[in-house]
Amino acid sequence: MEEQVGIAWHRLINRLATRRYPDEAVALSGISTPVGILFRALGGDHGVAIQAGGSILNHAKRSLLERLAGSERKVELACVDHQALQLPAVIDSFPTQRLNNELYLWLAALSATSLPPQQTWLARNQNATRLIIQRFPGMAAIYRRLVAAEILRRGPINRLPPDEAQQEQAIRDALREPGSISVLPHARRAHQPILLWLRPDILTNASLPPQKNKDQASRESSTTQSDKKRRMAEYTEMPERKGGLLLFRPESIFSWSEYAKIEHEAQENEDEDLAQAADDLDTISITRDSRNIAKKLSMSLDLPKAASALPPLNDGKMLPEWDYKTRTLKPDQCRVNTIPLTDIEPCALPEHLKRDQQRLKRQFGALQPVRQRLKGQPEGNDIDIDAYIRHISHQNETENRFYLDHRNRERDLSCLLLADLSLSTEAWVGDNQRVIDVIRESLFLFAETLTTTLDKFALYGFSSKQRTDVRFHTLKAFDEPYSDIVRGRINGISPAYYTRMGAAIRKATETLARQKTRERLLLLLTDGKPNDADHYEGRYGIEDTRKALIEARQQGLRPFCVTVDQEAHEYLPHIFGKSNFIIIRKPSELPARLPLLYALITR
Amino acid sequence: MSITAIAQNLKAPEVLPSYAPADDEVMIFEHAYRNCLPVLIKGPTGCGKTRFVEYMAARLGLALHTVSCHDDLSASDLVGRHLVNASGTYWTDGPLTRAVRHGGICYLDEVVEARKDTTVVLHALSDDRRILPIDRTGETLEAPAEFMLVVSYNPGYQHLLKGLKPSTRQRFVSLAFGFPEPAREIDIVISETGVDHTIAKHLVTLANALRSTADHDLEEAPGTRLIVDAAKLIATGCPPQTACRAAIVECLSDEPEITKALMVVVNAIFAHS
Repeated sequence: MEEQVGIAWHRLINRLATRRYPDEAVALSGISTPVGILFRALGGDHGVAIQAGGSILNHAKRSLLERLAGSERKVELACVDHQALQLPAVIDSFPTQRLNNELYLWLAALSATSLPPQQTWLARNQNATRLIIQRFPGMAAIYRRLVAAEILRRGPINRLPPDEAQQEQAIRDALREPGSISVLPHARRAHQPILLWLRPDILTNASLPPQKNKDQASRESSTTQSDKKRRMAEYTEMPERKGGLLLFRPESIFSWSEYAKIEHEAQENEDEDLAQAADDLDTISITRDSRNIAKKLSMSLDLPKAASALPPLNDGKMLPEWDYKTRTLKPDQCRVNTIPLTDIEPCALPEHLKRDQQRLKRQFGALQPVRQRLKGQPEGNDIDIDAYIRHISHQNETENRFYLDHRNRERDLSCLLLADLSLSTEAWVGDNQRVIDVIRESLFLFAETLTTTLDKFALYGFSSKQRTDVRFHTLKAFDEPYSDIVRGRINGISPAYYTRMGAAIRKATETLARQKTRERLLLLLTDGKPNDADHYEGRYGIEDTRKALIEARQQGLRPFCVTVDQEAHEYLPHIFGKSNFIIIRKPSELPARLPLLYALITR
Repeated sequence: MSITAIAQNLKAPEVLPSYAPADDEVMIFEHAYRNCLPVLIKGPTGCGKTRFVEYMAARLGLALHTVSCHDDLSASDLVGRHLVNASGTYWTDGPLTRAVRHGGICYLDEVVEARKDTTVVLHALSDDRRILPIDRTGETLEAPAEFMLVVSYNPGYQHLLKGLKPSTRQRFVSLAFGFPEPAREIDIVISETGVDHTIAKHLVTLANALRSTADHDLEEAPGTRLIVDAAKLIATGCPPQTACRAAIVECLSDEPEITKALMVVVNAIFAHS
């Protein structure tokens, strides 16, 4: 009973307090494609991902009702950096869907406009607005509608104390006449957030505290929760204290923001609790410690990047790496260890794949190189007597195709398949299969298919443990027959560590470029984006992989990516190019679809 | 396919087709012609390669033999072949042979699309021998000074496997074409269609906005040809947004999601009147 009253009260107070229009809400997930295209079309960087952004604290005065309901404490404002364009997950601040929709478009346009970095927040927003209005009349019309709605939303100005009213007036002038306000009058309270502008900058140059434990990669695997909101983050030192909850003041949720790494072994629904708590925080402090929440939740954090001035390595097989910030190809950045996997028990094709094997053999037999006789050709070695007789009998002057020609339909092709064997492939898809099982079966059927078409092929797998140990597993080299030994190696693949994609692609490129065939296909089989346990994540990994693929293309190879990552459309177009990848919606279909895909792209 | 269908034999027109030079390409082309050197033009779709060749042919007073290459175009489509009629067989020249015999520019558009055996024919013509051996008739034609070979291709990486071999590429004087500068493109749109300056400016802004999404959202950037087409529709009274949808957006993608998103960009530039 008590609980029901509580719920009813919560609903009532929320409805009264809300300045939002949930019925007219527009979600980012629904319009991320147009927002992304508009962002890039108006000058935004291609490598920047479009994401739902975390909120910041609203320091402005809230009404009594709002304080009672606990609403409007957080506000979602857009911001952009070199990693991501962060937009509110849902916009429902304006009374019509059209306006909420247009706010997304406006924020995308505003974030796409580049200005010199030294300008203040106030000047940047006004100048960018002015530029857009000048250049894009359609956006100008949208802006006028949004300003009217925003000013209406901000409420009557005459109820504010004089200093706040003066500040508010300046903001409204800046909105109406961008560029007209150079200094915002001071007021004791913070002004209401301006939804049409980008978020004031957050600190991004925090220093990185020393790292305590190094080798922890293997422990951080278990569950990953799909949680795509980015949250503001900073590094702090973890106090050396066993009972983490001691500092927790129960009356204040703010304490969460102090130390969120608490004893998580004991609780049952720890991840959910943490996710919820994370939403309540304004800044998540991560400790550089054994297991941390970000890894556990697999959420994107706005971490200030540690300066990565790593010395070049000098032993083993060295490969360069691309640093997008300095736009340089740093030599000798990672060591690749080729692992031959020779000590493996040979095995036959698993029983349950035999039927598929038979079917593929029938289907792909047609792709074998054969000599074809072509009828009705304009030239050739023999006369097509049927065509000639038809010509004589019809007295058809224009008909001139009466030759037979023989032509070899050759497939002068080699293919290197590179499979991602990182730890993420241990995730379960469906009830009885992990990603790694799907990849294993795909490798089996792929190899069976290419044995039928007589195309040259090689199979490799890769994983990485930081830049010193990129593992390149040889499953089948080009000059090796597809035998039970190879099947044994495929059977023996197991997930390990991370995905340093750039290095693996460079190594594969080297191997494939030595093949003398006319067409050379580099097929990448993966389940996620490039990452590793060091600075190789986010934009760095993506740009390095992109660079590695550009190098591969320059060598005349044709890269193609097959992924089971449902979010891959966010980054793969940038890495591989619009038409050079495919996302398999149901991972379990991959083994059957891979050979068909192969036939399609090598046609 | 009969030879007349693949080759258009244009006689030198009296009026120069309109062409706004981007740089010094006209001068280079003329020098190449004077020195009997073949020319290779590379650039994206719809950036004015074909128009440039037409302009140069008219300027130099040469006949233009244009061949649009496709993946089934063989050497004999260029050189010629024996045909049969009621009285026996007879030989017909292909467009390349005709250009060599009578002088003029032979322009092979999108040359990388042609079958590999065509390069053999081009090699002997494009180095200092300048000969065209026709093995079917036993002739060897020597190219006159008025003969010029011009080829073009689109070097986008999606065509990388079909790229020209270095041995072929290094026989040509090369001109790289890009999309025109905004000011020049506005002039082109106005002079081709007669739309007013504001419309032309918006169309060029749109084209450049869409070009910056190419490779990520679009396979191919929109060329000047597309915006000229849209301008033509607008000039005869079609509303700008509709013209952009029909002449630009729908030509760039078949995916409803992408075309819808591209229309957002169109609407960002053209205000609803």
